[in-house]
Amino acid sequence: MVMLIQTPPEGIYDELFDQNNRVRPSCRMLEDWLIRSDEALLAEKRREADVLFQRLGITFNVYGEDQGAERLIPFDLIPRVISASDWQRLQAGLRQRVHALNRFLFDIYHEFEIIRAGVISAEQVFANPQYQPGMQNLKLPRNLYSHIAGIDLIRHNDGDFYVLEDNLRCPSGVSYMLENRRMMMRLFPELFAKAPVAPVEHYPALLGETLRAASLNPNPTVVVLTPGRFNSAYFEHAFLARQMGIELVEGADLFVRRNKVYMKTTIGPQQVDVIYRRVDDNFLDPLAGNPDSMLGVPGLYAAYRTGNVVLANAMGTGVADDKAIYPFVPEMIRFYLGEEPILKNVPTWQGRKPKDLKYILDNLPDLVVKETQGAGGYGMLIGPKASKKELNHFRSLLRARPDNYIAQPTLSLSTCPTFVDEGVAPRHLDLRPFVLSGKKVQMVPGGLTRVALKEGSLVVNSSQGGGTKDTWVLEGEEC
Amino acid sequence: MLSRAASSLFWMARYLERAETQARLLDVSLTMALIDVPEDREEQLSVPLLVTGSREIFHELYPEITPQNLIDFMLLDDRHPASVFSVIRSARDNALHVRGNLSADVWESINLAWMELKELRHKGVTESTASRVFDWTRERSNVFRGAAYGTLLRNDAFHFLLLGTFIERADATARVLNIRHHMATKSLEGHPTQSFFEWTALLHSLAAFEAYQNTYGHNIEPMNVAELLILKPDVPRSLHACLEEIADLLEQIESGEARRARRLATSLYANIRYGDREYIAERGLNEYLTDFLQRIQRIAGQIQKDYMGWKQ
Repeated sequence: MVMLIQTPPEGIYDELFDQNNRVRPSCRMLEDWLIRSDEALLAEKRREADVLFQRLGITFNVYGEDQGAERLIPFDLIPRVISASDWQRLQAGLRQRVHALNRFLFDIYHEFEIIRAGVISAEQVFANPQYQPGMQNLKLPRNLYSHIAGIDLIRHNDGDFYVLEDNLRCPSGVSYMLENRRMMMRLFPELFAKAPVAPVEHYPALLGETLRAASLNPNPTVVVLTPGRFNSAYFEHAFLARQMGIELVEGADLFVRRNKVYMKTTIGPQQVDVIYRRVDDNFLDPLAGNPDSMLGVPGLYAAYRTGNVVLANAMGTGVADDKAIYPFVPEMIRFYLGEEPILKNVPTWQGRKPKDLKYILDNLPDLVVKETQGAGGYGMLIGPKASKKELNHFRSLLRARPDNYIAQPTLSLSTCPTFVDEGVAPRHLDLRPFVLSGKKVQMVPGGLTRVALKEGSLVVNSSQGGGTKDTWVLEGEEC
Repeated sequence: MLSRAASSLFWMARYLERAETQARLLDVSLTMALIDVPEDREEQLSVPLLVTGSREIFHELYPEITPQNLIDFMLLDDRHPASVFSVIRSARDNALHVRGNLSADVWESINLAWMELKELRHKGVTESTASRVFDWTRERSNVFRGAAYGTLLRNDAFHFLLLGTFIERADATARVLNIRHHMATKSLEGHPTQSFFEWTALLHSLAAFEAYQNTYGHNIEPMNVAELLILKPDVPRSLHACLEEIADLLEQIESGEARRARRLATSLYANIRYGDREYIAERGLNEYLTDFLQRIQRIAGQIQKDYMGWKQ
């Protein structure tokens, strides 16, 4: 029998136990399993999972460590369960949100209606470093910008899901979602025989469909563009290319002639219609972005502007997932769709507003401060955990560049029982579903659950020691 | 398929084949050094260095030729680009590049080899544990081949992979045959037992001992050995077998324009296919093999130019 060595912290929502420490109805089969399992056997399974992940080479490279240092993302055996009704609401909310974000991107590169209506200021859009003026008036198939979106959600004390962040550029992690499931099915087939877990294995098929739908050509040639094997997500790029049965290319494999993109094949040039690019905007074309970029393709931008190739995601989507734009997403939903947002935003104070800035400075020890341009958990302050010195450092940063920062209350990410060195204990987690926009908006049930393995930690990023779990959306009625 | 992917598959397979060759070469040399009279021991041990043209780099790194130094150099030394460690690392680097073209089984066979090899290297290899590593190398090689034949789609990715295997194998057979045949012929002047060992060493280096006995019986004749390893199409490491594969693969690989590599390979294949032992004897084995090595290298270079080179 597996024993919990800690109970969930006071006031925090736990995915397995309710506030009276009773197992939630949707998690009963999980509890049965934990009661019937013995710790030694599970420890054995954990080691087996590690060996398998190593063998499969499901590793990632950590920036700032030795080049070529490959690490495993810790995988936790205890799945995170989402009830059917929770998922239905989440799914509707995600569809709505991503739809509105794509509408917003179309608008700010064409008609500027939202700006003219005064919902959002011109300065916030046009002065944003992620805004690509070159994208103005460019006609994209289906007016789609973010074909693949990863929306980061957390579950708050009140049991409700909140959107923490939209990722509309090159969201990663979906391969872990798929491999975690494969691993769980391999290690615990008997669990899946009992629990009605919704499948996720068709994600690559949906992604392929989405990418083909991104082109007006009925039978387009689609490729995955990777920065190369030293990129932290290279495994994922190769994995998705293989699952979709398309070529994995690097910048040097492509060239542009007369505004058309070709790949260099053993039988000569072959034209490419859609590029699922996992390379940032700035590195896509050394002629248009960073001139030192070795990752890109000279002339790609011109070909893109001519409409001869589709990039997924489009260039210039970063403006919509920027932390300075984030507070406006609920307004966007009302503005474009005339609907009330289904998913909540986390309350956010913006450094650029004097009143908000004052609030931030006065309440710094209680807040999380983030750079509007930051990603991956870098350059952020977690007030309650910060030293005096760090607080003062951030105060001066905030005063110097208030525009650069937003602040949010310290969120109580929900917890879920997780294997740690000492036993099984509650650890904080988030959720990243992947939303695909093509002919329609689709997703597979669930997403990637990331878990902070250190006690009390709220940082789930794999680059900072986070782990992952399999995510189970239960089908049909709660069991 | 992508030119870069074709190149990575080609080299991945070449490196893996090279690992096996290196292990066989060293295995046989260490055994021979034990059998040999002490004066000839160093000559035996230096065969792998001669065959692979790595004598200079060895002497830069090690003061003298001893079994242990040779084991370190041939198996584990990362400063030696053709050590088993280095070639398996290179193979895995290339495999990483083309993961999208490999089945999970093929990728895992290579990744696992690399993981185990790092472990082996960490523990170190001595004269008494070396044979285990030779077995391991052969086993890994067999698993890779099995996974490739058993799980890869028969497309150009597969063809380029095989092309790498057979180019490397043809090259290795010609080199080993050239040097060991010379040594064995010399030994005919000495003690007959010693001479017998020399010939079996040659055959074992190319995994052809049983094949010889099946074809010619127990008596080992120098010209029979040359014939077996050059002209017999049914010996897996013979030049004939390799060239037949190479010519056939180049026939199957989809080509845009007329390709020179195909022509060069077909012509070399015809030479061997319609060659005979008298011709080889007349020309002299050394000259024959030296010419062969030049031609196989030209074919390898031309394959790169025809399918993988994109200078623009």
